[in-house]
Amino acid sequence: MIETLIRGLGNGSVYALLALGFVIIYKATRVISFAQPSFMIAGAVAVSYLAEITGFYLAVVLAALLVAGVALVIERIAIRPMIGRPVFVIAIISLGVDVVVRVVANGFIGTDVRQVGDPWGFSLVTLGGVTIQQRWIAMFVAAAVLVGLLFLFFRHTRYGLAMRAAAFDQETALAQGVSVGMVFALSWGLAGGLAAIAGTFVGTGQGVDQLTWIIALKALPAIIVGGLDSLGGAVIGGLAIGVVESLAQSYQGDVAPWLGQNFAVVTPYVVMLVVLLVRPYGLFGTPEVERV
Amino acid sequence: MNRNIVIVVAAVLLLSSCGVVRGNEEEQATGGPLAAGVTREPCPKAVDQAKGCIYLGTISDLTAGPFAAQAVPITKAQSVFWARVNKAGGVGGKYEVDVDTYVRDNKYNPETHRQVYNEIKDKVLGIVQTLGSPTTAAILDDLKANSIVAAPASWTSAWEFEDVILESGAPYCIEAMNAVDYAVETYQPDSVMAVYYPGDYGADAAAGAKIAAEKNGVKFTAVETPSGATAQGGAITAITKEKPDVVIVTTGPADLAAIVGQSAAAGFEGRFIGTGPTWNVALVQSPAGPALKALYEQSAPGMPWAADTPGHQAMREALGSVTPNDGYTSGWAWAYPMKAALEKMVAGGDISRAGLLAAVKSLTTVDYEGMLPPEAGNYSGDPNSAVFRQTLINKVDEAAPTGVTTTKGFYTGPTAQAYTLDGPCFTKL
Repeated sequence: MIETLIRGLGNGSVYALLALGFVIIYKATRVISFAQPSFMIAGAVAVSYLAEITGFYLAVVLAALLVAGVALVIERIAIRPMIGRPVFVIAIISLGVDVVVRVVANGFIGTDVRQVGDPWGFSLVTLGGVTIQQRWIAMFVAAAVLVGLLFLFFRHTRYGLAMRAAAFDQETALAQGVSVGMVFALSWGLAGGLAAIAGTFVGTGQGVDQLTWIIALKALPAIIVGGLDSLGGAVIGGLAIGVVESLAQSYQGDVAPWLGQNFAVVTPYVVMLVVLLVRPYGLFGTPEVERV
Repeated sequence: MNRNIVIVVAAVLLLSSCGVVRGNEEEQATGGPLAAGVTREPCPKAVDQAKGCIYLGTISDLTAGPFAAQAVPITKAQSVFWARVNKAGGVGGKYEVDVDTYVRDNKYNPETHRQVYNEIKDKVLGIVQTLGSPTTAAILDDLKANSIVAAPASWTSAWEFEDVILESGAPYCIEAMNAVDYAVETYQPDSVMAVYYPGDYGADAAAGAKIAAEKNGVKFTAVETPSGATAQGGAITAITKEKPDVVIVTTGPADLAAIVGQSAAAGFEGRFIGTGPTWNVALVQSPAGPALKALYEQSAPGMPWAADTPGHQAMREALGSVTPNDGYTSGWAWAYPMKAALEKMVAGGDISRAGLLAAVKSLTTVDYEGMLPPEAGNYSGDPNSAVFRQTLINKVDEAAPTGVTTTKGFYTGPTAQAYTLDGPCFTKL
């Protein structure tokens, strides 16, 4: 049971990092960027090449910076010119960006499964009588540290404040001298870097192949559960999705076999639907008041 | 008046584009197309300008779909296969074959597959590669209606029941039967578990494993698993909880690594046998490598890259310095029946789709240059007598170019030998 929970928290940490990227971009630009899966896979691929030269840990940092840089460039050339257009248009452009970046990343993956060179593999550790995989712990700790840093960034730095201001009210922020363009760029860069790290953790143990990007889609129910514009919600949503999925993988076959063998696959979406019915803005989202 | 002229011109254009009004009947005499996809003019990259050209189409998963990693080498191998045929004098000394002009990407989407098929179908004589089962199913009715012969890039047992489908090697179902028979003989298991993807890849193999387990009186359980590295928890829990003696796996390589690596880490000591597509050479170096070396074998419909046959030799020479991959091996081997059928069609004189289909139906053996036994190319007779029932077992070998070497050559297990193929296997799971 504890093993299952920790597996869920490990995978959930990855979903949380991806979900944070979605939410950061959404808060800054009011657009859901569908380019996250491609940044995730690009990060994992970059690590798989860099780790051979620099070692795993430095490779993760470099890959995160690299993908953040790529995201900045893409934002500048493909997204910025579209500001002012309907958000739907920008979302569709982000889909196109996803396909393009993914095809390029697939070129680097080639025909093989690429290894990210992580130090954990499938090694186990026994803590208080429970045997768990080291990489689950690594995922959780890394996500916790990153989330902590991110919250400090938003609370205590000029850029963080600028991003919060722009998210709150773009025009007023602009009037106060906040460069909204910089905020957009920064949000894409941050989302890219987070996705790259998430991708690396997805690749620990089994490696990455051309199919791995699909995992990034689990972040969508996570952000709906947490609330589209809540950073804390993204973290809680991601972890919740990971734990629910892991519990379903382990126990649904015994408890509710009539649901079929692969019910775990749809559990994130079931949780999402339930949350949407009860709280349409997500657990931590801001309810919008619209006057009709 | 002017308006009427415009209407008449528009109507003529419309009708002629629909093929109702045609002014090209004399085209055959002046060197136009002889039949759909066959011209008197040489191929764009002709070796001999005096020969005509047979165009064959390829619809594969070339960029964004899940099987691009296999599809790209398959397509490349087929391109160099036909270049070699053309260099050696073409088909029947009269035609060369072009497989490079009509290559389309299906993104593994049946709708896209049908769309690109419609784009190219009037320009090709046959399809040299149609990748995927659901995608091929989307065009199957049209293939049949137009007698277009197509070679699939998949091994589901459903293809045995289609005349227009030119499949090579044993289907997954037979492969899994042989894998279970091999395991029974080698490891004397009391229980067998099939871990498989839903659909006619995984389910076809799982059905074969079930049939063989029942025949051998061994306990059988089936665990369906979705694709995705974080989605294998359920399968791993099932394996470590039920502790079967043998697990037959039908997934992709990354998921195989997750399943074997994590089950072994949790103390599982049973055997794994995976179907052909579960393996990838990079797994040797992965964290799951030691577990795979200790517990895993690969069942396969054909010999790996480094095998010592004239066909393998020719393939390696033709491809030059590529990174070895058994996608190349499959793509190359799959092309032989099309070559045999085209030669028979040209020899028979009926250069048309009907002629090609008739040639296919009359093939009882195909020269695979040793890559597969000649009887694997039997396309005449009923599915049960024509189906090829031999597969091999490979073991992990770090020194081999694609990471595996054959430990048990082509064989038919007792289950597959006695089995009557009276419908696609996956319907029997």
